[in-house]
This record gives sequence, C-alpha cells and structure tokens, in this order.
Amino acid sequence: MQRPLSRREMLGICKGGFGALAFTSMFGVLPFGCDRPKTSAADTDLYLGAHYMPKAKNIIFLYMDGGVSQVDSFDPKPRLAKENGQDPRKKFKVDATQFDNVGKILKSPWEFKQYGECGMPVSSLFPHIATCVDDIALIRSMTSNFPEHTNANYFLHTGSGIQGRPSMGSWMTYGLGSENRNIPGYVVLDGGLIPPGGLDNFKNGFLPASYQASILRAGAEPVANIKPLEKVNNLQEEKLQFIKQLDNSLIGKMGEADAVESAISNYELAYKMQSSIPELTEFKEESKATKKLYGFDSDDPHTRGYAAQCLLARRLVERGVRFIELTCPKVAADRWDQHSNLRDGHERNAHAVDQPIAGLLKDLKSRGMLEDTLVVWTGEFGRTPFAQGTDGRDHNPSAFSMWMAGAGVKGGTIFGKTDEYGYRVIENEVTIHDMHATIMHLMGINHEQLTFRFGGRDMRLTDVHGHVMKDILA
Amino acid sequence: MELVLMLTFGFLEDPSDILIFFGRFHPLVVHLPIGFLILAIIAQFASRWPKFQPLKPFLHYLWGLGAISAFLAVLFGYLLSLSGDYDTDTLFWHQWSGIMVLVLSLACYSLFKKQGKNTPFVKWPLVVLVAITITYTGHLGGNLTHGSTYLLEYAPNPVRGMAGLPPKKEPRPKVTLLDSADIYLDLVQPMMDAKCISCHNPGKKKGGLLLTSHTELMKGGESGEVVTMGDAEASELFRRIALPEDHDDFMPSEGKRPLTEEEVDIIEFWITTGALPKGYVTELDSKKEIIETVNTYLGLDQNTIFGQTVEPPNTMLIDSLTDNGFIINRLMRDNYFLDANFSLSEREITQADLDLLMRLKAQLVWLDLSHSGVTDEHLQQLGQLENLVKLNLSGNAISDTGIQHLSKLTHLESLNLYNTKVSGELLNLLPKLGKLKSIYLWKTHIGDTLAIQLQEEYKNLTIVYERENFE
Repeated sequence: MQRPLSRREMLGICKGGFGALAFTSMFGVLPFGCDRPKTSAADTDLYLGAHYMPKAKNIIFLYMDGGVSQVDSFDPKPRLAKENGQDPRKKFKVDATQFDNVGKILKSPWEFKQYGECGMPVSSLFPHIATCVDDIALIRSMTSNFPEHTNANYFLHTGSGIQGRPSMGSWMTYGLGSENRNIPGYVVLDGGLIPPGGLDNFKNGFLPASYQASILRAGAEPVANIKPLEKVNNLQEEKLQFIKQLDNSLIGKMGEADAVESAISNYELAYKMQSSIPELTEFKEESKATKKLYGFDSDDPHTRGYAAQCLLARRLVERGVRFIELTCPKVAADRWDQHSNLRDGHERNAHAVDQPIAGLLKDLKSRGMLEDTLVVWTGEFGRTPFAQGTDGRDHNPSAFSMWMAGAGVKGGTIFGKTDEYGYRVIENEVTIHDMHATIMHLMGINHEQLTFRFGGRDMRLTDVHGHVMKDILA
Repeated sequence: MELVLMLTFGFLEDPSDILIFFGRFHPLVVHLPIGFLILAIIAQFASRWPKFQPLKPFLHYLWGLGAISAFLAVLFGYLLSLSGDYDTDTLFWHQWSGIMVLVLSLACYSLFKKQGKNTPFVKWPLVVLVAITITYTGHLGGNLTHGSTYLLEYAPNPVRGMAGLPPKKEPRPKVTLLDSADIYLDLVQPMMDAKCISCHNPGKKKGGLLLTSHTELMKGGESGEVVTMGDAEASELFRRIALPEDHDDFMPSEGKRPLTEEEVDIIEFWITTGALPKGYVTELDSKKEIIETVNTYLGLDQNTIFGQTVEPPNTMLIDSLTDNGFIINRLMRDNYFLDANFSLSEREITQADLDLLMRLKAQLVWLDLSHSGVTDEHLQQLGQLENLVKLNLSGNAISDTGIQHLSKLTHLESLNLYNTKVSGELLNLLPKLGKLKSIYLWKTHIGDTLAIQLQEEYKNLTIVYERENFE
C-alpha cells in the first residue's frame, strides 16, 4: 500500500499545514461540511463562507426533465394560432433539428390567461402555479448551447456540456458548507427519472468527494441500506470504529488523502443518517391541510409522489440543507420530451408537478421560509414552435422559459423576450452561465471568486462567462 | 459666396435643417482655435527666451492655423445660432467677441509674417488682447451651453459673493424618513436639476421651456403646457421621457444621461396625483409599488447597520456557541456580521445560551431561534440584541407579554412569529420597528380583523398571516 511521496504531494501536505494554522488563528469555527481534507486547506479564504450578504440560504431546484415547451407554458404566441398549419420555412429560417422532421407551425393546444396583480400570462397547463405568479420572476429569454439532452443537462447542471465538471450543488456546498451535521448538504430527490447523462449531473467533479450529491429515492427506503443490518447496535459501531482506525492509519502513508478522508466522513455521515433520514421522511407531524395543499389527496399517483418530494424538500430546507434538486416523476408518457403527442404528454407531466410546486411555494411563503429559500424551475432547453411530425415538438435551445421565486427575487416580473413565434430570443438573452451567476449571487457568492485550482487553472462554475441578472433582483 | 453673405447678414429667418445640422459641429470645431491660439500665445512669449529662439520662424504658422480654425468656428457658430435656442443677449456678445477673435488672430498672422520689422509696442498688447478675447468668448459659450450658473454652482460662498451671486441654496436636508419625503421638492425638482436644467435654464431655453421651478415648469414651452395635471399619458413631459431611448423625441436629447426607470415612474406618479408643487409622498394616494420605488430611489431601504464596521468576534465565544449547538456563519468577507441558527439543535435554549449570545451583540444580525423553546422571559434579553436585522421566533410559546421587549430592535427588517401566541401587542410594537419589511403571523392569535387593520395601516409592510389555498 505504501508508495513514496511525489514532490507535489509533499509540498501539498506542507502548505496545507501552514494554511490550516493560519486559518484557525483567523477565524475559529465554521459550519460543518466546510471541513475539507486538511491537505487542501490552503485556500483558507473559502472557509469564510459568503462573499457578501446573501439573500438566499437554501435552494430548491425544480428540474423539468426533457424541456418544457415555452410557447405552451409561460410564453404565449398568438401568431402561432394565426399561422397554424403553415410551413415554418416560408416564415423564418429553421435551424437543423434533432430529428429533422419539421412539420407545420403548431399552435398551442392550451389557453393562456393572465393571473395575479402583475397579470402574468400562464397557460392552462399550470392552473396552480398560476396562482403564485406574484412571487415569480419569469425569464423568457433563456438559451442553451446544446440541442440534445445529455449535453444540455451537463451544461445546465455543471456549466459545461461535457461530463466531469462539478455540479452547481457541489459548488454551493463547497462555497458555503452545510448547516446540518446529520444530512448531506447537497441532496437530489429522485422522483423516478434520472436525467439523461445520469449521475454525472450531480457529481463533485474535481471538488472533494464529500461534495457530491446524495440521492434520496421516493418510497419507504429513501437511501439504500439505511436500516442497519446488524442485529446488535453495538456491533455496527464497533465495525465502523475499526474501519476508521484502518483508514486513519492509511492517511499518513498516502499523499493525496482526499479520497480516504472523504470516505471516513462519508461513513460517519451515513451512520448519522440512519436516524436522521427516517425522521426526515416521516410526515406524521404534517397536518392534513398541509398534505392536501401539496396534493397528497390527488387521484394521480404521480402528483402524490411529487407532492411528497416537494414536502420533503421543505423539510430539508428546515433542516438546513443547502441545495436540493427534485427530478421529475415517471409519468405514463415520456419526460417533458414530447416529440409526439404533445398534448397528452405535457398534460400528464404538468398535472404531476403543478399542484405540488404551487403548494410548496405557498407553504414556504406562509412559514416565512420563502424569504431565505430560492426556488428555481427550469428545463434544459425549450421546444420548437412548429411541429415535429404532426403533433410533437422538437428540441429548441434558442429560446426557453424558466422562473425563480423567493429570496431576493422580484416577484411578478417578466424578463426577456422571444420573437413572435417564440423560436429565438430577441431581447435580453440569458445564458445558463448567467443563471448560475445569478443563483450564486443570491447565495452571497461572487461567481468570479469561488474557484478551485484544477489542471493548472482556477476553475469556476461559470468558467469565463456569466453576468448577474440584476433586473430580476428585488 | 452668396450663401455665406446671406448668412453673415442674417437674411435667413427660417433656417433649413441642413444649416442647423452643420451648426451642431460648432462645439467640435470651436475647441480648435482655442487650442491653436493659446499655443501661439505661449510660443510667442516663450520665444523671448534664447532657448526657444528657434521657434520664431514658425510663429506665424500657428497664428495662421488659429485664424483659419477661428473662421470655421465663427461660421458654424453662426449656423447654430439660427436655431434660436439661446439667450439672445449672451449670444450677441458671444458672437461678436468670437468675430473679434477671428479679426485679431488674422492681425497677428499678418504682423508676425513680416517678422523683424514690427515694433514690440504693437506686438505685445495685441497678443494679450487675443488671450483676453478668447477667454471671454469661451466663458460666454460655456454659459450658453451649460447655463450661466454652471461655473460657480459649486464655488465656495465667498467666491460666489464676489461674482454677485447669492450664497448657495441650502440643500434640502437629506430625506431619512419616508414620511418626510416631499413629492416635488425632494423627488421631482432634484431630478430636473440633475438631468434637465442644463438645457432648460434661463440661459438656454430649449423649446422655450424652463424647468428650474414648479411655476416655470407648469407654464410650459413654445408648444404649450407640458404637464396635464392628473394625466401622465397626456403630458408632453412624461411622453418624452418615457419614449424608447432611440426615438427622435426622447428626452434628455443628444445622448445626455436619461432618467432611470424609477425616476420615470416617480414622475408619472407625480403627474397622476395632480403635479403638485409640494406634498408628502405618503399622504398622496400612493400605491405600494410607488412607495417601494421611492424608498429605493432615496436609498431608504439601505439598513444603516451595514454601514458600520464591527470587530471580529472572540473565537473562544464562537467555539462555545458552536459546542452548545449554534451554527454560526459569517455573512460577508469585508465585515464580521454573523448569522446564528439554533433551530437545528435538538435541545431547548437555556439562559446560559442566551448569555453567550449577548456577547455577540455587535456582530449578530441574523438570528434563527425557531422551535427552540424560547419563552417570554427569554425575549427580555433577546430584545437587547439591537443589531438584529432578521429574527425568526416561529414555533415558540411566546405571547404579547414577550414581544413588547422587542421594541428596541429598530434595525429589524424581517420578523417571523409564525406559530406563536402573539396578538394585539403588535399594534404597539410595529410603530417602533421602522425598518420592518416583512412579518409572518400565520397560526398566531391575531385573527383576520387585526391582520387586515395592520395591512391597511402599514402599506409598505408585507404581512403574511394566512396560507392561501386554491379555489
């Protein structure tokens, strides 16, 4: 097992020692989860948490897997109805689409109505979310760099279209730590659909391993093997103690201790999760009214499932978890990716998430939690305003809608504009990098300053891009 | 040549656009003669030194350049004056002293061309005269463009006194309370002063409109009244500032700094409420949004607490608090304001915990004690944490007896009392919490009547007292 130290490792260990000393004298104590392996403690500044006064302490990221159609949800386009059935190529330049099966211009099957004091138009797909529009800042001018799910997902989650970079949740917990010692700081609630691209969407990349997402599944056993297999309590503790002893003896002999130290802290956390997770997923103390608000009494099992995820998200926020992502439920149709049968698929998906999301927003608001919590709703790209085949819509990375609600966000605003077909952005384009920069800004992080040295360069979530969208900030 | 003659003698009563177009190059060209002639004057004096003797043969070129550029400046200046936007008196003197500069520089050119023969007696007074005329013309030009008060606006009072100007107007005291903000005096007029009066002043009455006072503003300009009381859409002044920036009629024109969105909103509100010469914003029929806009515009939403610099906290103290179950976060890099959270602790808060917390009094701005077993007695002590900006007391058995102790928390912006027993005491507490922006009162004992009464009374305050349901 023992191998000689490399020159780099030797230096790494030494500088870490000095850094750690300097750090403890500067500031005594930090939230749990900031305790990174000692060998990389040189960047002590990062331990100090926020760069400037944060607005949000936690994030709930509602990921709409597959790409919701913007012209059928939050970006009404009357011209589509007027020109329904006409050839789009005669109207505007049509980019290559994934399936190269460009049909006619397709009007939205859903009606739009204005809601709230702000009068934001929302389609009949989301009657419940529509009642929350005064708390929502809608961005209609999102763009992505990728027209295909896997890359677009990596881009949305990690700021790079190629797998391997740290996910935004990892960056947040790396920058700010977690407040809870018994639950990981970055949690993905698996609603049934793991996005294309798989778990690499939630990985820590080059950041220390303890910053990767922990995935909680819906159902009786949210985390595999969460119930101890040992019959005697003592036995498990002794086993863990022994493993820790072995691991600790290894640390001194290995240069890059990150993996071992992360393993140790993971074991410790896993042990604590045996009691914290069952308590978390037990909804006994939630009132009937609360459950009803989220949609626990719905006829649709997917609504009930997503309702439980949303309620769980609120409970995680109450327990100080920094970043929570919800993936979509597996409805009878595909994810939001309706290449055909738009009407049926979108209705099923919308029905599953609409009431739970609105319930979550209202519940957070009435408890005063929306003030510290940022709720983000987005897909990875949008859909075409013309049909794929006769009744579907293909991928469209040139325009889509997203919204944010809660901490530091100006409710009831609409930002950005698409052309008359909803096909391309014509005003105030917002890139994925801009979205990341804005989310970090709300968390009190300057996206240009939260870096990690890797491959000889100070890496950032936003790479060399990103502007904070000041217009939607309160 | 005919054209030039006609222009020089002012035959054109109704100038065509093309002439004014060229006229607007006057500000560009006018700085050339200033530069050339001053250079010539300096060179003229410098050439008396033996060291700069070699300059002598070139002096007349400088004067020549000065004369040519002065000619262009005079020509364009005349074209510009045809637009008639300027104070005639000042314009007259500016015009003729400008022509004087041209004549004098021509004289210098011809004089120094035949170098050697001239006598110092004629030479030096002429050079000095050029210097004086340039300065005088330039000054008048400045008055025409920026207004005659521009130069000495910020001069010390003794200097203003020498120039025969009244002492500086005492600026209105900075608004620190929204209730003392005057719609015209504190909001509209300062906007006019900052962004409009450089063109709409007695010296440069663009469009015949003066925006230096309410009376003048209401008089309107050449095309009539610019403000229709109570109707912003029908008011020319509002229409012009609310247009898209690239529109021809957009004001302020000529690429001057436009009014911000907030300013436009405030002016719209001012006109809608009757375009009054004075009146408190909060006493007008103000909607919540406009109150918020005014708040932001005047910078009243900035909590003064964050202007302070606080000492780093004692690390031993932080250690003990952490050991006791508090989570302490530093909220910013450049200061030591802290956030303390006890809500995740599994035990209830004790007197000992509070005693420790009191020692963080200066640094502590956010405090979360939800579901922590806080009692009314505890609040007596918590009420001394005067720097708190955000306080969460939800889920504790506290009542009116306790919250009366919170009245000293004047920096408080957010107070969460969800799921507590508070009720009527809020009527006494809220007037003391001037900075408060949001309060959470769901599942308390206040009842709908009191909640609605509070909402009526505190229009700027977000009061959440129920959980909406779907219809």
